Amino acid sequence: MPALHAVQKELGHLDNECIKTLAKSFNISNAEVIDVITYYDDFRLEKEGQYIIKVCQAEACQSLGCRTLLDTLKSHFELDIGQTSNDHSVTLKEVFCLGNCALSPSVMINEDVIGRASSEKILAYLSEKQNISHND
Amino acid sequence: MTDQIKIYIPKETSACSVGSDLIAEKITDLTQGYNHISIVRNGSWGAFWLEPFVEIEKDGNRTGVSYLNKETSHLSSIEEFFDDFYNSQPFNIQDIAFIKRQTRLVFSRIGLYDPLDLNQYRNSHGYKGLEKSFEIGQQQTIDEIKKSGLNGRGGAAFPTAIKMQTVFDQESAIKYIACNADEGDGGTFSDRLIMECDPFSLIEGMTIAAYSVGANHGYIYLRSEYPLAKYFLTEAIKILKTKNLLGKNILGTNFTFDIELRIGAGSYVCGEETAMMESIEGKRGLVRSKPPLPAIKGLFNQPTLINNVITLASLSSILSFGTEIFSQYGSGKSIGTMPYQLCGNIKHGGLIEIPFGITLDEMIYDFGAGTFNDKPVHAVQIGGPLGIYLPANLLNTPLTVETLINLKGSLGHGGVIVFDDSTNMALQAKFAMDFCQKESCGKCTPCRIGSVRGVELIDKIYNKTAVNADRILLEELCETLETTSLCAMGGMTPNPVRSIIKYFPNEMMN
Ligand SMILES: Cc1cc2nc3c(=O)[nH]c(=O)nc-3n(C[C@H](O)[C@H](O)[C@H](O)COP(=O)(O)O)c2cc1C
Ligand code: SF4
Ligand code: FES
Repeated sequence: MPALHAVQKELGHLDNECIKTLAKSFNISNAEVIDVITYYDDFRLEKEGQYIIKVCQAEACQSLGCRTLLDTLKSHFELDIGQTSNDHSVTLKEVFCLGNCALSPSVMINEDVIGRASSEKILAYLSEKQNISHND
Repeated sequence: MTDQIKIYIPKETSACSVGSDLIAEKITDLTQGYNHISIVRNGSWGAFWLEPFVEIEKDGNRTGVSYLNKETSHLSSIEEFFDDFYNSQPFNIQDIAFIKRQTRLVFSRIGLYDPLDLNQYRNSHGYKGLEKSFEIGQQQTIDEIKKSGLNGRGGAAFPTAIKMQTVFDQESAIKYIACNADEGDGGTFSDRLIMECDPFSLIEGMTIAAYSVGANHGYIYLRSEYPLAKYFLTEAIKILKTKNLLGKNILGTNFTFDIELRIGAGSYVCGEETAMMESIEGKRGLVRSKPPLPAIKGLFNQPTLINNVITLASLSSILSFGTEIFSQYGSGKSIGTMPYQLCGNIKHGGLIEIPFGITLDEMIYDFGAGTFNDKPVHAVQIGGPLGIYLPANLLNTPLTVETLINLKGSLGHGGVIVFDDSTNMALQAKFAMDFCQKESCGKCTPCRIGSVRGVELIDKIYNKTAVNADRILLEELCETLETTSLCAMGGMTPNPVRSIIKYFPNEMMN
């Protein structure tokens, strides 16, 4: 698993090439590698967005409207859970608890957690990030 | 020389989730060239509604202000910042009731200083526990833990000393210790707080446990949703290696101990100890059947001590302060203090470490100041996704391991989630089944398939198309799950569902 995490961090996802290479270096079959990859939510076989938005759907966040928040984001991005936008800018996902349950609802964008989240807050965060990267 | 001034700005997930890093950036800019001012990125005090809570220490006085709704972008000099700060009624956080009423033993250091400042850790009793353990020896250490009455904080409340004794008693050249840092329960964050705000206490505790059972290699299995905890643990391990507190000949003894950090990949059931071992071994996280117990045949078939983060961190306090510090509180399976995590729809949510037995009323109103949106409390879920929901008329329930078992629930990892009266309880029951379906490891049919049926049945109730036979079917399904599941994922999923049927019957009728 450390190898899978490392490769995914470098390449963004785990394609056929990496699976073959990993299988070879661990001396196991391709199927065994795929078996492990597909068991875990974090590993992905396809390319994902530049911003991976994970909306917490666990109980503490439910108590402050995370279901509505997810619906709003779904219709804003016109994406369903697990889908990536055509331009590969965002992927929308659900997650179960980010450990930020006293400041619900919580959303994680890549490695940043946003507390007391609202769709406005999420969109403001994204547009700020995009501004910074455009200016670079 | 001008007196030194310290500005504390937390670097901790919850604080950062509401802008702590931005404030730190701003203040760093403003203090350029002021040598008598230093910025400390401390941990959080666990009073999250105050975050980002900025403190200034000056002339031996340390006071703070909540920057939650305060703008800092307009400030153009550090003097302006100080003016603004001191005009905002700063107070000493240790004087507020939320902190004062707690008994912080395991969490005694969070918020105080930079979590990676080893000198501060050692000056506040850090590594006294390990020194004591080396002094009294392996068996004596286990005896001390036994005397303290410590039970595991991961969910099952199993006596820690018994597990340690079993691993110690195994004749094996290789033994392992694995720290369960998967903290998957919705509504919990105590493990994260220890790892981010006092990582040395966890590692010291792990070292004590490893030494006493005779393990030389340890794993921390950390969930991937906690990148900041990963950062703190990685740095803490590096620092301790250079200071001879990890690695060979720790503190001049002949004891060698290394820790490897393993990151999970988004699977709840990998918090179950045997699934966790599979995952550490690089496989799919399928639950193994017990026996053999991990303590006899665990990781890579060797005796393995598996404990939760809080359990291990508690060892440092128990060894350094003496067993009475724990055993003086509580009875039965509820001895010592418990770090409850108050969250959800609550004004003052956060970490509450206090002797077992506090009632929900006290917690929600005395600590929590009521719901976040001022609506009436309707339900409280205790102990994570496998925990029961209690109605408002049972808020006088004291939170101990035993009371929750009597109510057919579990205190679990100590999460307490508050819901207001707009909550649809049928939807909560459906979520319990849905979560089981999503997170099931797939080994047992009732858990894998039954949960899908459960979702369908509750959907009918939710959509008001259920007939009586559906309700009977749902009860039978709960019965099957409870009696035929290999682990608590399937076995305890009925708990939240049944508690909703029992305490919120009107909401489960058409
Ligand atoms: C589905 C499931 C999930 C679990 N998740 C966790 C977890 O995230 N963290 C944890 O410490 N224990 C978890 N446990 C309990 C562990 O199996 C084990 O009892 C615990 O790590 C032992 O540590 P302790 O004795 O210190 O409590 C889980 C159990 C089950 C059945
Ligand atoms: S009860 Fe569910 S999670 Fe547990 S072993 Fe069976 S299938 Fe796996
Ligand atoms: S339940 Fe959403 S962050 Fe914990």
